[in-house]
Amino acid sequence: MDFDALLLSRIQFAFTIAFHIIFPSFTIGLASYLAVLEGLWLTTRNETFKTLYLFWVKVFAISFGMGVVSGVVMSYQLGTNWSVFSAVAGPVIGPLFAFEVLAAFFLEASFLGVMLFGWKKVGPGLHFASTVLVAFGTLTSAFWIISANSWMQSPSGFAGTLEEGLVAVNWLQVIFSPTFPERLAHMVLAAYLTTALVVAAASAYRLLRDATEPESAMALKMAIGMLAIVAPLQLLVGDLSGKDVMHHQPAKLAAIEAFWETRTEQAFHIAAWPDREIEGNHWELSIPKLGSLITAGSTEAEVQGLKAFAPEDRPPVFIVFWAFRLMVGLGLAMIALGFWGAWLAWRGRIARSPAFLRACVAMGPAGFVAVISGWIVAEVGRQPYVIYGILRTEDAVSPIGAGSVSASLLAFLVVYAIVFSVGALYILRMLAEGPLAGAHEAPPTQDRPPGWALGAAPENPGEANPREDR
Amino acid sequence: MPDIIEGPPDADAPRRPLTRRLAWFVVLALAGMAATGVVAYSLRALLGLE
Repeated sequence: MDFDALLLSRIQFAFTIAFHIIFPSFTIGLASYLAVLEGLWLTTRNETFKTLYLFWVKVFAISFGMGVVSGVVMSYQLGTNWSVFSAVAGPVIGPLFAFEVLAAFFLEASFLGVMLFGWKKVGPGLHFASTVLVAFGTLTSAFWIISANSWMQSPSGFAGTLEEGLVAVNWLQVIFSPTFPERLAHMVLAAYLTTALVVAAASAYRLLRDATEPESAMALKMAIGMLAIVAPLQLLVGDLSGKDVMHHQPAKLAAIEAFWETRTEQAFHIAAWPDREIEGNHWELSIPKLGSLITAGSTEAEVQGLKAFAPEDRPPVFIVFWAFRLMVGLGLAMIALGFWGAWLAWRGRIARSPAFLRACVAMGPAGFVAVISGWIVAEVGRQPYVIYGILRTEDAVSPIGAGSVSASLLAFLVVYAIVFSVGALYILRMLAEGPLAGAHEAPPTQDRPPGWALGAAPENPGEANPREDR
Repeated sequence: MPDIIEGPPDADAPRRPLTRRLAWFVVLALAGMAATGVVAYSLRALLGLE
């Protein structure tokens, strides 16, 4: 394998975007969860919702910050490493990114300030409005990013050539490209599932230590309720998204299912070892005819195999095939966890089943893994194109040397390892302490901050410190 | 030391006038936007962009 600028740029973008997607896939759901918690607190005045809000808003603030930092890096890469892509597609895709930035920074960042620092100053109603606006901002952000990515998967509404550059001729077709609606729904539901799994895991961890903590029991019930409804819905939306792939990116579908021959009655491969060298699978564990039924709705439907495409137009099949199975496997596990939790909640035993609570803790990272797997399917499955059918990835890279890219890649690896490890560890520690950490601490006996240089000195030198007698 | 992230006002705390609460709402939102702008233009300056 030749580590040239193309491969290094692809590794760099894959590394940074895989890191980045962790945060928005969590904060999109968490912002909506915070809006629900605050709304419930305002309407019921139940202190449990307020305590949960004040706990999760801290986690949100840190995750949001790390999401912004890791996202900014990628916009620079579009210029430094993918300048040909930017030059060719900028007039079409640039405005979509610009709208995303406007939504992310001017809606989310602005009202996040009110959310964090303004509750006493603006009062409950306006504070709730800020929380809702931040949640709306995260969803708007997702709208524009998925719109941009969907256009790269199924480009429409444009004209021009690679030499002259592409221009939009119908903005509605650019924004609402054919695969966009299902992909947006799939991503938003994935974000809600990711958040529900993290909230469930953190709450279950606390309940394993103290089964009587009402805040954690409430949060667990809310998370499991979300999981029980959204996980099966996600299966249906994912299937719709898969149908889009069949119509618009048949080579990707063939790679997802490791279909090599074009035929009716395709088998569904539960597991296989696909190999591009032999143009087939070394071994398969399959169910006859089910592949055609799942992908095209009928066992008699003809579904294209990878051999229908020139070898240089086929995506890397092994990665796509297994990333898809990891995503779907985790999705099925989420459905099972949701139904298990719903059944326990109906029996009134959700907080007192150690086996279920441990399963919730174990499934905490499952949403992140499923999201990253899904994006691997989407992005690797689109290869060898960066704009499907229009611009090949190898033609989109900047005319730069491998040395420059490897230096910046190394810098990213080091900085990310330090910054995000610290951030992630801090969040994990906060989650382990739970929503009641510090809630029962005695109020401070000094009105001076403990970090002040003279914080430990008596206030009136020469006299006994009267506070010590309290 | 008070929490950096502010909690809700006490239930029995007197409510500030609406105009003052609205003013704080606008000021905090604008401050958040301004902070974002400062970071963005600092990055541009660092990169030497016009």
